[in-house]
Amino acid sequence: MAIFGLWVINKAGGLVYQRNFADGLAQLTSNEYLVLAGTLHGIHAITSRLSPIGGPSSGAQVIEGESFKMTILLTATGTKFVLLTSLAETSAEIVLQKVYEVYADAVMKNPFHTPEMPIRSEGFDVRIGTLIGDGRTG
Amino acid sequence: MTIHSLYIYDRHCNCVYYQDWNRSRRPKPAVEGGGILPGVSRAVAPTIGTAAGNCEASRDSFAPNSGVVIAVNDEHANGPDMQGAPQPGQTSTGLPFDEEAKLVYGVVLSLRNMARKLSGRENELFVNYRTSAYKLHVYETQSGYKFVMLGDPAGDSLRFILRQIYIGPFLEYVVRNPLMTMDSRERGIDNEYFRASIDRLVRGLSVFP
Repeated sequence: MAIFGLWVINKAGGLVYQRNFADGLAQLTSNEYLVLAGTLHGIHAITSRLSPIGGPSSGAQVIEGESFKMTILLTATGTKFVLLTSLAETSAEIVLQKVYEVYADAVMKNPFHTPEMPIRSEGFDVRIGTLIGDGRTG
Repeated sequence: MTIHSLYIYDRHCNCVYYQDWNRSRRPKPAVEGGGILPGVSRAVAPTIGTAAGNCEASRDSFAPNSGVVIAVNDEHANGPDMQGAPQPGQTSTGLPFDEEAKLVYGVVLSLRNMARKLSGRENELFVNYRTSAYKLHVYETQSGYKFVMLGDPAGDSLRFILRQIYIGPFLEYVVRNPLMTMDSRERGIDNEYFRASIDRLVRGLSVFP
């Protein structure tokens, strides 16, 4: 089980934070990550409209490939936290909740942070580092 | 556990087949000129008139539009209408079917490309995604046909069913059918045996209510 990466996407679809942990996925350039985050933002909006049954549907929550999965947490304010993990990883939702808490503490409470802009906060980096470590989860 | 709908796309991005079960929220009929091929599904075809007109020539013994057999699931799903007002208990997605089919294809293709890019492997496959209301499963064949199925969000993978549809009804009634033009880009899979056989297969599954 492994955690490969973490993305934070703002409500406009811009990637404001991206960090890799365990190896296992391709190493892309920051531009490529920006494009993928934008694509994911669009797909997420479409998936909530494709529901075949009545009642509201969320956007995609878990996207699975053959060798990895993406777990998406959409907050009430429209910020998306995306965790890329191995398929067997079971703690993705819990980790995302904790990441959200750290984000609230270390980013939103930071008076020098501009909302919707890339996160450049050492406090956030350090606390995410202690939370996820090198991405190997047993 | 249930299964809501099945889409089949060919390698040219065309939706060639559609069928649904237990779908309480349905698309509006496709608009004419929206790019939906004739014969994809009777339930969401633009209008009966045009379909009967331009496929007269291509029909032989498999005459599906002749009115002998109506698409199997339509009768109990919601009767012959669909053009008219929605049935009680059914709501509309507000999207015409042609738009919906394109959105489904777009999502599947984008996610497949994203999975390939992220993993760095050319043969990485996108398998499924889940929302709070449904789960979408994909099975892609070597020839570029994509089988897409929407089911219950809590359900297990339905890829084995998609594979069964491919190696069973699809090979039997579509690939081995000399009257069927594969890759035609002009007609969907308009074959009553295929439709009935998929319906039987899906209704016989343990995951089907």
